[in-house]
Amino acid sequence: MGLNYYQIKKNVLRARKLVIRGTNTAGSGHPGGSFSMAEILGCLFNKYLKFDPKNPQWEDRDRLVLSKGHAAPGLFSNMAVAGYFPESELDTLRKFGSKLQGHPDLKCPGVEFCGGSLGTGLSYSVGIALAGKIDSKDYHVYTIMGDGESDEGQVWEAAMTAAKYKVDNLTAFLDRNFIQQDSYTEKIMPLDKKLESDNLSEMWKDASRWKTGDKWRAFGWNVIEIDGHRVEQIDSAIAKANATKGVPTIIISRTIKGKSVEHMEDNPAWHGKAPDTDVVPIINMELDSQFMIAPSIIAGDMTNLENEVKRCVSGRADYIHLDVMDGQFVPNKTFDHTKIKELRPLTVIPFDSHLMINDPVKHVRDYIDAGSDIITVHAEVTDASSFGEIHDILKQNQVGVGFAINPDTELPEWFYNFIPSLDQLIVMSVVPGKSGQKYIEETHDKMARLNVILKEHNFSGYIEADGGVNLENIGSVFADGARAFVGGGAIIGQQDVRDAIRDFRNEVLKSRRGLLLDKANELGGTELVKKWIGLHVVGEKKEEIKKIAQERGYL
Amino acid sequence: MNEPVMTDMRSEYSNALIKLGKENPNVVVLGADTTDSLKTSEFGKEFPDRFFNVGIAEANLVTTSAGLAVSGKIPFASTYAIFLPGRAVDQIRNNVAYPSPPGKKGLNVKFVVSHGGLSVGPDGGSHQQIEDIAIMRVIPNFRVFIPADTIAVSKLTSLMATEYGPFYMRMARSKTPLVHTDSQNFETGKGITLRDGSDCTIAACGITVRMALEAAETLQQDGISCRVLDMFSIKPIDNEILEKAARETGCIVTAEEHNIIGGMGSAVAESVSESYPVPIKRIGAQDMFGESARDEEIPLLLEKHGITSFNMVKQVKEIRSKKL
Repeated sequence: MGLNYYQIKKNVLRARKLVIRGTNTAGSGHPGGSFSMAEILGCLFNKYLKFDPKNPQWEDRDRLVLSKGHAAPGLFSNMAVAGYFPESELDTLRKFGSKLQGHPDLKCPGVEFCGGSLGTGLSYSVGIALAGKIDSKDYHVYTIMGDGESDEGQVWEAAMTAAKYKVDNLTAFLDRNFIQQDSYTEKIMPLDKKLESDNLSEMWKDASRWKTGDKWRAFGWNVIEIDGHRVEQIDSAIAKANATKGVPTIIISRTIKGKSVEHMEDNPAWHGKAPDTDVVPIINMELDSQFMIAPSIIAGDMTNLENEVKRCVSGRADYIHLDVMDGQFVPNKTFDHTKIKELRPLTVIPFDSHLMINDPVKHVRDYIDAGSDIITVHAEVTDASSFGEIHDILKQNQVGVGFAINPDTELPEWFYNFIPSLDQLIVMSVVPGKSGQKYIEETHDKMARLNVILKEHNFSGYIEADGGVNLENIGSVFADGARAFVGGGAIIGQQDVRDAIRDFRNEVLKSRRGLLLDKANELGGTELVKKWIGLHVVGEKKEEIKKIAQERGYL
Repeated sequence: MNEPVMTDMRSEYSNALIKLGKENPNVVVLGADTTDSLKTSEFGKEFPDRFFNVGIAEANLVTTSAGLAVSGKIPFASTYAIFLPGRAVDQIRNNVAYPSPPGKKGLNVKFVVSHGGLSVGPDGGSHQQIEDIAIMRVIPNFRVFIPADTIAVSKLTSLMATEYGPFYMRMARSKTPLVHTDSQNFETGKGITLRDGSDCTIAACGITVRMALEAAETLQQDGISCRVLDMFSIKPIDNEILEKAARETGCIVTAEEHNIIGGMGSAVAESVSESYPVPIKRIGAQDMFGESARDEEIPLLLEKHGITSFNMVKQVKEIRSKKL
């Protein structure tokens, strides 16, 4: 079964928007900690948890215990997306008479644990896990803990009990966002190493500072450490945890409080504060503007693709773009599914397989079996019937559905019906077949045309720009609407892939900051622009955004 | 009065648990390194898969029980009184009393503790829990019992297993005299009239029940007819039996081995003041802590706090003059 990457991403986005909606309407709440665990809950709700929203008390369901109960908006949002109640119910959050209490409550069917008093969720989960063992039930207990609440001694009482009773039907997540109510965790009560300065990034620079995993290992737990915003790492960790017998597992997930909204990220002020109404549309636009960088390994050494994959891994690519060429649909030939299968064990980073081949319907299963997470086929070699077949196979296998159009191809009208369930649209900005070409400038106009059609047909996927994307043009390509960027020579061709990807990200960020300022100016003129800038208090962001605002004449 | 038959509450609790364990596979027992003392380890020998010793970790004891209860189990969690309500009140409130599945009130956890009150003896004031009733009865959804003898322990243990919801039951450390008969019926919220009388009432619970019966005997010799109530169910309190006692006897003395603030005496006073106010005198720890006393000295410790049948007689005589 595939990663179901796009479905998870889309639902994580929906849930994040609901957190903003709920806390804004309530006028209080905890968006920061809801966002740091967003991808974790996304993976659980959209792939692993067995549940039935119509029968919340189903006795064989998996149990999700939100020990860090203040992140209730994050839990409720996922429950709404999962169908427990309408999304509009988030408007009642924290209000009199609502089942969506300030902290999760059994009043809301589907909620398993009344959170709020910190440090107790793990003991409770151990109780549920023990009951499952007594009754020989197959259900699994997933517990989300905060790093702040790890100050509580009871967490460690429960840790010992779980190890003693070998509750391997329990998997805990530590949402390690390094921030608790007063300040950074490493200042208040270090789990790793005391932070002397006020610069949290010190914790990220030096992995030797991280001691939390050692603590849990010493308590007899199986420990997996991941980046808690990477869907593929969460997915792989859960799969490993579920396969581990005889000991409980904790997945220590390094996360960012307020993740996805720049001014909330790593900012202790957003532990428990709701966004103001006037900035909500800008925040939503920012949430809609998440982006991915996908290096294309054929731009590297074709005789050692294994090494190119490894460079992508150490470079922290979001996906690895795999250009499959058959020498018929395009003149060149690269590799086929057998190569993908060989590369697959090297990393869990999603494989973005771009099939530039004839008759894709005949081969698509091979590419699923090889371990692709997203598969894109071309408009030029499909029709409604063959694409329909491909679409269904991919969805059944939880593989992302991609569709590509060449520079001189318009989106065919037969395809419009598929737009709502399309995950990725690749807009070729060079003629496919070889790397090293220049970005075709006309693509900018084409993107504008496409945006109209896509919007009309409720597109909720990502546009991927493929061909000639570089540091000079990536900002404008982003402004056109692309959210995933294939980088050939401009990334893989560089000495240091990590630097190149970082530069790509920074350019996109700059472009995005500009668009958000445009939005602020459009909605509230200079006053809102100033307010928006003023929200960015952590690090150098404020000065950089101010500069962009000045360039655009807003200040 | 006859020489009392002394029996051990913890043994009786242990027997009752094993009986329940055989009848109901959902009954589970948890302890916190006091399971030999509480004799719950006997249940563990009989049902090893349904017995959990979580170590000296009372917070964890409470919340783990909550997790078992929400999954359909009926956990009996036991340790010494001093280590449970005082130490883990947050977990008791937030993990057991507060969470209410649809149509229910609280989770189905039963806390049964031993070593309640001053009669703990030699371990001293640090171990003499005289605040637990106040703590437990203020928490919504909880029901609170103090049984007077092993017959009550046995019957109330079975009752708790069949009645849904959170309970707290406090037992005494030392052997206690039998005051009930095997045929005595126990109901939540129903006090028991052990002896009728018309001139005054003594409301007692736990070890003070036998003292109250002795006091009534003495009072009778002085021509005073004293009613004795076993108020084992402190929450819910039996408003009816108290109103009746107030109307018919005109004054009430309460006696308990607990601080007079917030305990059974307070519960009686709250009830009577709303139904049929009459003079009330509360006997119990006079808002001060206990101290060490060897087993044979426990009566001296209790006497220091006025918890004796002699003082009950004295207080009855005094309060009668204040009748309205």
